[in-house]
This record gives sequence, structure tokens and C-alpha cells, in this order.
Amino acid sequence: MSEVRAAEVLSLCDISSGYGAVSVVKSVTLSIRPGEIVALLGKNGMGKSTLLKTILRLIPLRGGVIHVGGVDQAHLTPARMIAWGLSYVPQEQALFQDLTIRDNLRLAVRSDGELGAALDHAFGYFPFLRDRLKQKAGTLSGGEQKMLILARALMLRPRLLLIDEISEGLQPSVVDRIVGVLRDERSRDRTAMLVVEQNLDFALRIADRWAVLKMGEIDDEGSCGQNAHARVLEHLSL
Amino acid sequence: MLLLLDILTTAAILFVVSVGLLAIFGVLKIINFAHGAWLTIGAYCAVVAVKLGLNPWAGLPIAFVAGALLGGVAELLIIRPLYRRPLDAILATWGLGIVIGQLIALAFGRDVQLIPNLMSGTVRVLSVDYSVYRLFMLFAALAIGVLFALTIEGTRLGLSARAVIMNETLARSLGIDTDRVRLATFMIGAGLAALAGVLLTPLTSVDPNMGVAWLIGAFMLVMVADTSYLALAAACLVFGGAQVLVSTFVSPVLGGISVAVLAALLLRINPRGFSRA
Amino acid sequence: MPEDTALLNGRPASTTALEWRAPAAAALVAALIVWISPLVLGAFAANVLTRSMLYATLAVTVDLLWGFTGILTFGQAAFFGVGAYATAMTMTSLGSTPAWMAAALALAIVLPMVLGLVVGWLSFYHGSTPLYASVISLVFPIVVTQLVYSGGLLTGSSSGLVGYDTLPLDLEGFFRLSGLVMVAVTLAAWVFVRSDAGKLLVAVRDNDVRCAYLGVSPRRVQIMLTVALAGVAGVAGFLFAHASGVVAPENTGFLFGTQVVIWVALGGRGSLLGPVFATLAIDYLSASLSGDLPFLWQLVLGAAFVIIIIFLPDGVAGLARRASASIFRSSKQTRVPRIALAAPHSAVERSATLLKVSGLARSFGSLSVLENINLEIRPGELVSIVGPNGAGKTTLIRCLSDGSEPFKGVVEIGGKPMKGLTPDRVVALGVGRKFQVASIFESLTVAECLRLARTTSETPSGIGSAPRLSLPVASIEILRLTGLIDLIASPAGLLSHGMKQALELGMVLALEPRLILLDEPTAGLTKAERATIGTVLRHLTAEAGYAIILVEHDLDFVREISSRVVVLHQGRLVLDGAVDDVVNSETVRTIYSGGGHV
Repeated sequence: MSEVRAAEVLSLCDISSGYGAVSVVKSVTLSIRPGEIVALLGKNGMGKSTLLKTILRLIPLRGGVIHVGGVDQAHLTPARMIAWGLSYVPQEQALFQDLTIRDNLRLAVRSDGELGAALDHAFGYFPFLRDRLKQKAGTLSGGEQKMLILARALMLRPRLLLIDEISEGLQPSVVDRIVGVLRDERSRDRTAMLVVEQNLDFALRIADRWAVLKMGEIDDEGSCGQNAHARVLEHLSL
Repeated sequence: MLLLLDILTTAAILFVVSVGLLAIFGVLKIINFAHGAWLTIGAYCAVVAVKLGLNPWAGLPIAFVAGALLGGVAELLIIRPLYRRPLDAILATWGLGIVIGQLIALAFGRDVQLIPNLMSGTVRVLSVDYSVYRLFMLFAALAIGVLFALTIEGTRLGLSARAVIMNETLARSLGIDTDRVRLATFMIGAGLAALAGVLLTPLTSVDPNMGVAWLIGAFMLVMVADTSYLALAAACLVFGGAQVLVSTFVSPVLGGISVAVLAALLLRINPRGFSRA
Repeated sequence: MPEDTALLNGRPASTTALEWRAPAAAALVAALIVWISPLVLGAFAANVLTRSMLYATLAVTVDLLWGFTGILTFGQAAFFGVGAYATAMTMTSLGSTPAWMAAALALAIVLPMVLGLVVGWLSFYHGSTPLYASVISLVFPIVVTQLVYSGGLLTGSSSGLVGYDTLPLDLEGFFRLSGLVMVAVTLAAWVFVRSDAGKLLVAVRDNDVRCAYLGVSPRRVQIMLTVALAGVAGVAGFLFAHASGVVAPENTGFLFGTQVVIWVALGGRGSLLGPVFATLAIDYLSASLSGDLPFLWQLVLGAAFVIIIIFLPDGVAGLARRASASIFRSSKQTRVPRIALAAPHSAVERSATLLKVSGLARSFGSLSVLENINLEIRPGELVSIVGPNGAGKTTLIRCLSDGSEPFKGVVEIGGKPMKGLTPDRVVALGVGRKFQVASIFESLTVAECLRLARTTSETPSGIGSAPRLSLPVASIEILRLTGLIDLIASPAGLLSHGMKQALELGMVLALEPRLILLDEPTAGLTKAERATIGTVLRHLTAEAGYAIILVEHDLDFVREISSRVVVLHQGRLVLDGAVDDVVNSETVRTIYSGGGHV
């Protein structure tokens, strides 16, 4: 895949990466257009989190090419990609537990001048944050923390959102809320999303397309339709 | 009363000397063994100021700027390549300290430099005659501590630095330029060390090796305090107090090593900072 | 398999003879050079070099500690100084008859060794870090120096001790004595690091956790080494006191200690000869240049030190090694041992419970990771633990293998409670643990790794390398099935990921543990590699009577080989039963499709 359609926000071409001697992501080809939500599914240890970290350049790319917003990622730093409009929701250790909610959000904006507008946008989705700005992030419940992380990611109106297992350990009611927020964000701003998930129901509710990652490669993919659920379940089942 | 003043002023001096090292250890997670050399650089900035005919107090801003700039160069050339080798970073900074010491000796000669004291004389405090300058050090430590606290709690750089201290990967994934934060922190730490050097000139003889004696004590205090400047202040009080008490009632020589020995024992029982380094 | 089958790997078995000849010859030549030198050198050079050679002996001890074992120490100078002062003080205050001289020598050895024990105990403990050990090694010389300063007439304070009677040797005699001691110590060190026991040093440096899990306490190795080398430093100090006739506080201080580290770094840490030559050259040059360019020399040394640390961490010796490797094609005759079958340990009673877990709980602050885990495992069982991420699987394995973990509840192995036991003692109860990320010794060869795994069964030799490596049948099978048998001379660091996993498994099996804990053994392996491992594991439990606990994500693998499956979810054991029952259960399906909320 040598030409990159400029309209694509993300394009992964036969990429591979890993840790030390281990190759976790072996060969992945995937692209996402503006406004598209793609669900990346698969069992543990198959390379989903590693893939997201590679896109963000937290882990070096070993093979293949990544284009973010039409630009070769090799020429970009995480800071530049984030300035362009990339936002990341990590799976673990995603918040500074000892810092206040306000400081956690503040760290995501580039300068304090932008903070006001960004906070308003965040409160739009999760109003409960407005009154708790001075609270330490570690004192929030699990669900509230996930919502804070999502708020932080959406605050800057990203063009591409990378989400790593946000629904893990959440109550169904909170999951519903998140589904609403993500749908809203997509319809308002045409935000593209790559959603890594183990929770099948949640993933298929919001995604347009799905792909299953197995042993570092995409085993199967398709659009979300009636038999998507059954097909994916086959891949995930015992 | 005299004892109390001795303890407080000793603690103040230790704090001023160590706070720069704390900033560097917290953010960069390495021990800057050239810290002693930066104290010396600061002291010699005061010497230069006097030689230029300036007020000796002018040494303070000169030292801070010179220390910070040289610190920047050191971070880029020496510290950055050793990011993943902390023990080697200790050695390289020690080597840097030797080089700086010899350069100063070549430029200024080995002898002790005499410069007019920043402040001299005694003042009567509650029935005791005490050195004005030592009392001034109390004020200086407080001022530096407050400024440091304001920077770290109030400014954007301070927030970014705290983020890098807590979780560098997360900071990077939020778009923070961690390289720039580390450089800025090293420069500030080095500048503070040079500043401390100027403030030390009335208390100790100025020669190319003056800084080494302060290095071990400073770094043991930083290890105990880990990343918190409040903990550093507390450590300076406790260990400084112990030093004064041992010096007064047992022997001055043993007093000199009490900070290091007590800190080493405390860290054996409660490792703290070591788990991060 | 027939008794004593020697699996050949194409190399002649005993090359130990060759190993002796080269270094012995070199040592002989060096000794001759030392003997003749005083006849050609002037008095000044002989004087300086006598001292330099004693410093070189000290540098060898620092290299053993730092270059080989990974302990950055500034403290050897203090042991040297203590030896020197003990000698001088004895001569000054007690007398200088031959009896007192002998007593001084004994004191110069014993006193540093006792201090070494204290320093070792302080520096090395379960959970200690290399940085803390270095910190202690810094504080120690400072304390010694200050004690000397405050010693009054006894120690001579800042002036030191001078004018005491010394050994009745002239300049030539002291030169030869110091030189021969230096050659002897270097030869001993050389032989030791190449022996099987010497590989322990590198093992502790590379991976002290793996050492512990092979039943070898890394702390004990570090402390014993510190004590032994403190004694050697003390001997050098004794000779120094006699040869120079004066001891001063500078001989004990941390500045001296840092100088030795600089010499070792410049010469090349981990090379033994590099530090020796660097010390001789630098110390001699420092003394000779003293008249002319003293400060510039220090400046050059300091700068060279910084540059070497950043760009050439292996020092000049490393440079020389690389240059010679490109000139002479690497003819590294790594001795390769012959692999033989070891007689098995006593047979395992099939009926007895091997592992009993009652009410195990583990929490980090307010976060509860494991709750009320109850489990019993017998020999011959292959139990797989499955569950989503964050369910607590690795924490469970840790609690079963490391008794220093602060867990609640009881864990008994073969009826013995393991709470509070460090990993090396748990291994002694018959437990072997394989980590998720292959935990081996990257700097050593496959054969050396395997031999280290046998340390608790066969004490390794401190002089040579045994020609035969006895391994239990399970290890040999792993080596054969994975093809690792053809790579036993290869450095472990160069193996592929799958081979490293196989090596680690081979090492763990070499312990002949009754209970084997495997954390994701198939992570990153190819299909063929997984099939091989599966075969071996099944064989181990079915025929050899071991018990295996397996943490896995690959549920196909689990279904193929397990005799029993345990499901962990949010820290609790939700299912425990036969493979078919668990795998087809509704609970598991729900958990894995993300719907399960407990």
C-alpha cells in the first residue's frame, strides 16, 4: 500500500513492533477515515495495546510505515502528533493519582490559556467534574476515573482517538454513558476512533468496522452488521 | 539557645546546599556527583564579581546564570547519553567534577581565595551574640524554599516536572516534551547549586576543592528526602540537628560524619528513593 | 534412556588442560619480569612502581566486584587503609618482632574481613538495590577516614604514622614481593572468573532474581565476595605499610577509592588485565609528571574518564578486544562440556498433597488483588490458571514462589509453610518458577546457564570447568526437542525469543522441582515451539510425577494439555475443575466476552 489517500487520518502499512527480542505486532495493515470508528478486538497478549503504543511512538516501529494525518510518523514526535489532534486513552496508569483533577486536565493542554475552553468542553460531557476540580484523581471511583480520562482525551477536540480498553471493570450504566459520549463526539466533530476492546458488546455498539487481532496479525475483519457478533465471538471463544 | 540557633542555621545551610540536587534527583532520577563542583563554580563567580569591582552580592545573579548555562551544556553532552545508565551517570558526573575543579585551579590557582564577606559581625539575639550571616542564612533558606515551592506548585514547568517525576511515560503520552523538562530542571538545579556556592563563601574557605566536602552530606539528605522539598527541609533539621549535637557533645570529627551515617542507616530500614532510582 | 549416555556435541571433552597452560605461562613470564625489573629500573621508578603494583592488586579486587559482579564500590580503599593502619599501629604501639609482624599480617587480614562482613550485611539484603550498595561503599571510607583523624596518637591523626619498623627488605625486595603478590592475585582472579564458580559473579550481575530462583542466594554471593576481597585488600595494605614506611589518612579515603574506580574504568571493567595495566601506567605517570604538569594531567585523566564512561564503557581493554577480534578471527575456544544424564532425585509420592493454599489474600493498600484463594495440588497434575487481565494470576504465582511477599493466609509446599522464606529458600522446598519474560543470563553461554541451574545439586568448581554437565532427563529432552542442544556453546543473549524460553525451561527443569510454576510459557512462540513445550509438560506430569501450574492466555493450549483448569476473575477463584467442564461453562464465556461483573 504505497499511496496514502490524504483523506485518511490513520494508515498502518504492514507494521511490526515489540519489546526486546519479542515481536508482538507482526504485520498489521489498517486504515481509518475521518468519522470512522474501528473496533480492534482480540484476546489478551495478542498485541492490541502494543499497537496503540506504537502508533503514538511510545514504542519504536520496527517495520512498515505509519501515516498520521497523512504525514509519515517517522518524522513526528508524540508531542507533534498530539498537537495535530491525536488523543490517547491508556489502559493502565492513565492518571496522576496524586494530582488534582484540574492538574490532570491541565497537563493535557498545551498552554494554560487554552484551559478554559477545553474544560468547558469536558464539562459538557461529564458535568460532575466541574465541582470536583480540586479533588485528587486517586480519590475518584474506578468509573469516574475512566470518565475523567476520556474527558481529558476529548477536551482538545481530537481528530483521532486511540482508546485502550476503556470499558474494563465498568458498570453497565457507565458504559452506556460512554457509548453516548463517543457517538456524540463522532457526529459533531467527525472524530475518528480506534477502539481496542475485549468487551464485545460495547465494541460492536459503537463501531462501524471491526478487526480481530491474533498473534500480532489481523485474522479477520468486517463491517458491523447482524452477524458481526457471531463471527467475532467465534474468534474470541475458547 | 545557642544550640538551638546552631541547629536552625545548620539546617538552613544544608537546605540551601541540597535543594538544587533534590530537583535534579527528582526529575532526572540521577545523582549529580558534580554538585560539589557547581558549588565551587558559584563561589568563584563571587570571586570574579569582586575582581571586577562589583558588589560581592552581585555574585548571586552571576552565579545562578553561569551555573544554569553550564548545567545546560552538561545535561546535553553528558547526562542525556547516560539516561539508561544511572550508575554510570554518577561516575561521569564525578569525572566532570574533577575536570571542572582542575579548570578552576588552572584559571585561578590552587590557593585559597580571600573575598570580603557578604555580611559580617554579630547581633544580639535573646541574650546571645550570634553571627549575623548565619542568621541571614535562615532567611535565605526560607526565601529559596518558598521560591522553589512556588515554582514547583504554581508554574507550568513545575507541574510538568511533577508529572515527569510521577510517571514519565504518561507525561510523554500526553504530549509533554520530557526532554525539555529534564533540561530545564537540570539547569535550575545547577543554578541553585552555584547560588549556594556564593552563599557559602563567608562560611568556608574558597579553593578549587571546597565543594567536595558538601557533596556527600547533600546527596545523603536528598536520598532520604526522595522527591519532596518538605521532606528535605525536615531531613535537614533532623540530621543537621544531630550533627550539631554530636559535634558539641561528642566530637566535631564524628559530628562531620553523622549526617552520612544516620542517613545510611535510615535508608537501610526504609529504602524510599532507592526503589525509584 | 540408558545410564550415562554422553550426548556428543562434536567437541573434545577435556580442554581444561589447555586452560591452565596459557595463564600459568603468562603468570610465570610476569613473575620473571617482576624479578628482573629492579636491576634495570632506577630507584625512583622502583619505588613508585612498588606502590603502583599494590594499587594494581587493589584494582583487581574492584574489577571483580564491579566489572564482574556489578557492584560499583568505592570502599576497597578503606579496607586497604584499614589493613595498612592495622599494620602500622601494631608496629608502632605493640612491637616489631617477627611474632608481632605475623600478628600484624593476621590483623591486616581479619580486621578488614570483619568490616567487610558488616558492610556486606548493610549493603546486600533481600530487596536491596545496587545504588544503595554504592552509597554504603561511599560512606564507609569516609567513616574510616574520620575515625583515623580522631584517633589521636594511636592513629597519628592527620599526620599519619611514620617511623615504625618494617620488614627487613630493601627496595628490590619490596618491589619483588609486591610484584609477586600482584601477579599471584591477578592469576587467582583470572582462574576463578573462568571457573564454574566464577560464573556465579556474572550471573548475580546479569540477573540476581534468576539466581535466587535457582536456589542460590545472590546476597550470600555478594557478601562472601566482599569479605574475601576485603581480606585481599588488607594484605595489600599490609605490604604498603611496610614498603612505604608511612600511612596517612589519604590511604583510606573516598578520594582514593574513586581513583581506583577511575583506573578500573579506564583500563576496562571486567577484563582484569586492563585495570592492572591502567593502574600501573597512570600511577607511574602521575608520579613522574608531578614535577611538571600536575594539574593538567588530572584534567586530562578526568576528561578521559568522562569520555570513556559515555562512549567506551568497556575501557581500553574493550577497544583492544575489538581490535584483536577483527584482526584474528574470533577463535574463542569456549570449552563445551559433555552433557550426561543425572541420576534423578528421590521419587515423588503420588498421593501426598504437594501444594496447599488456604485463604490466600493479597492487597496493595486498599486495592484487593487476591481474595480467599483455596487450592490443593497433587503430583501428576497439570493445572492451568486462566482469567482476564488484571485477574491476579501473576500475583498468585508470586505469592506461591516468594515467601517475602506480604500475603495473608497459608501456603504450604510439601507440607511446609513457605511464608517468610526468600525465593532461594522456597526453591529448596522443591519449587521452580519460569517467568513470562525469559529470565536467563544473557552474558553466559547456554551450557554455563544450565550448569548454574545445577549449583544446588553439584557445587561448581572454583578452579576449573568440569568437563561433564549432568542434567536430568527432562532438561535434556527440552534441549533435544527444541534444537537447543546444538547451540549450547552460544551466548544466551544471542538466542531467539523461542530459544530463550526453552533455555529457561531447561534451567528450571534442571532443578528437578516437584512443583513447577510457569507464567505464560508460550508467549511469543511459534506454533511448532508451543507444541514441543506442550509435549514436554504433559510428559513431566504424566510420567515423571511433577506438578505444574500454568498461567496462560492461549486457551487452545490450555485445553490440549491441562488436567485441570482454575479460573481467576477479579482476584477470586470462580471455577476449578476438569478441562471440559470449565471450558464449556457459561461463566467463562461471560467473563471473556466482557459481560461478567462480580
